[in-house]
Amino acid sequence: MFSLELSEEQRMIQDTAKSFAAEQLRPRAHECDEKGALPEDLLASAWELGLVSAVVPEELGGGGMKRSAVTGAIMLEELAWGDLALALAMVAPALFAYPILTQGTDQQKKKYLPLLLESKPAPLTAAVIEPVINFDLSELTCQAKKKGAGYLLSGKKCLVPMGSTAQSFLVYAAVDGKPGYENVGGFIVERGQKGLKIGERERNMGLAALDTVGLELAEVEVGGDAVLAGGPSCDFGKLMSYSRVALGALAIGVARAAQEYALEYAKVRVAFGEPIAHRQAISFMIADDYMEIESGRLLTWEAAFLLDAGKDAFKEAYLAKLYTDQVVIKVTDDAVQTLGGHGYIREHPVELWLRNGRGFTTFDGLATV
Amino acid sequence: MKIVVCLKQTPDTEATIKLTADKQGIEEQNIKWVMNPYDEYAVEQALRLKEKHGGETVVVCMGPDRVTEAMRTALAMGMDKGVHLKDDAFAHSDATGTAKALAAAIKPLSPDLILCGRQAIDWDMAQVPAILAELLDMPQVTVVAKMEMGADGKSAVCNRRIEGGEEVVEVKFPAVLTCDKGLNEPRYASLPGIMKAKKKEIKPLGLAESGLSANDVGKASSKVQILEYLPLPERPPGKVFKEQETPDMVKQVVKLLREEAKII
Repeated sequence: MFSLELSEEQRMIQDTAKSFAAEQLRPRAHECDEKGALPEDLLASAWELGLVSAVVPEELGGGGMKRSAVTGAIMLEELAWGDLALALAMVAPALFAYPILTQGTDQQKKKYLPLLLESKPAPLTAAVIEPVINFDLSELTCQAKKKGAGYLLSGKKCLVPMGSTAQSFLVYAAVDGKPGYENVGGFIVERGQKGLKIGERERNMGLAALDTVGLELAEVEVGGDAVLAGGPSCDFGKLMSYSRVALGALAIGVARAAQEYALEYAKVRVAFGEPIAHRQAISFMIADDYMEIESGRLLTWEAAFLLDAGKDAFKEAYLAKLYTDQVVIKVTDDAVQTLGGHGYIREHPVELWLRNGRGFTTFDGLATV
Repeated sequence: MKIVVCLKQTPDTEATIKLTADKQGIEEQNIKWVMNPYDEYAVEQALRLKEKHGGETVVVCMGPDRVTEAMRTALAMGMDKGVHLKDDAFAHSDATGTAKALAAAIKPLSPDLILCGRQAIDWDMAQVPAILAELLDMPQVTVVAKMEMGADGKSAVCNRRIEGGEEVVEVKFPAVLTCDKGLNEPRYASLPGIMKAKKKEIKPLGLAESGLSANDVGKASSKVQILEYLPLPERPPGKVFKEQETPDMVKQVVKLLREEAKII
């Protein structure tokens, strides 16, 4: 059976995410970007939607919703349509919690997943990306060396979302310095642990509202119980496939926001006696962008569908990520161009979407690998 | 406390409405259907009252299969269960027929309070709640923008929006209230709520079970006969004045605003 029709549950989740994005995220995105800050009340009300916590198993007191990459993609597209920085802040705890949910030991699940059920956003995040030239997920420079039952972690990380306030970090490192996805392990590091230095808040081109930090790890000692899946390595390839699907959906959300805005603008902006949408140079561009967005969504959903079916979606997820990386850059750039001079000033949101959208190719280093 | 919320599923406010070729209705394909926005205030109010005073909340809705989507959304927001008036005989009921069907479904529930939206955003008639109150012999307070429960738990003080101000009314339960914007801020259906909604009961109620006869409802009973629907007339093009002295142009505009548009 094959169907692209949303289930009733997915439709309702989409409605919730869509309304929240339109009513809560979009109206505050500009202010958050200018101030470079996240409003706590907004994150708290977002947390009440249970977008991250619904998958906590019933035996741990949660709703026990089956995790679905398709449903996640539907939801993330809507949230990113509202604002990427706020969307990432909302779901950052999932970067820690979902690997624990799918690959963690029973003890790790019991310790961390109930944190998702509390009324405030769980202070959990993950550290994947590294501040190195030619960053390559399969050759992490952050290393884990065996020591007794546990490991010593050393290296640097960057772009750790919500890192300023996170209490627990899931840090990915190459076990014994060996290359390859199969040798990547996940290690739980707590704030305040000896050897962990949490950097100042990073200043990025986009995502100004999102709190991201760098980490420096100097022989941080983690016990055997703090190793994802019991160690030494985890199924990093699968985790990255989920991540790529999520990033693909987020990119499509940003691109869709820009394309819709440019289209509406082109219909009302009159130059030389008629709306600029009547000019083929504009209308063809916006139509092409629409096509790119729809294609990117289908690639993303295909990869998500395979993941949900329990299949290996490594290639498809990679493809979706690479493609949507290009889509979001092209479409947000086209939107700025459609608005002309107005696109370059901050009164209109398209420049924000261009700055935010530009980040996708760097978020996991894929485009250059 | 038992609270019933009457729900209607309406086209999304952003949906593009097209008439059918015979002008007897609208094209229903490709329309996104939503819970009538005013009904969201009714659902929210019911949930808040339940959270504070306990009890049970039931959503009642009439219509074809698709309306269960709006009902499920109400259940996902937190309503306890639903009654779905579902029968071909109910189709094309006017406001009286609809109110009769709702009354038949609601009466056996013996509610303390019935909450409705102030009006549905499709037909904008605001008739059903008033007729419903008459049929159930209950007092009604319409366009409620504020509501305070009485200390006895069996009455409420409501502020009604009226032109130029507010009217404050005390009402004894059981009663019918229609809810206006400003009464509350409707919550979003949370993911856990959506999960729970799947397991909540929506009981179908056909014509036979409702105790009504085919003459009470549907097109046959309808006192209002819709002859045809007409699209909004196209807006005439605007007039542009240019290349004249400004005072002359202003004079002409003012004259037109007064004599043609009749707005000053």
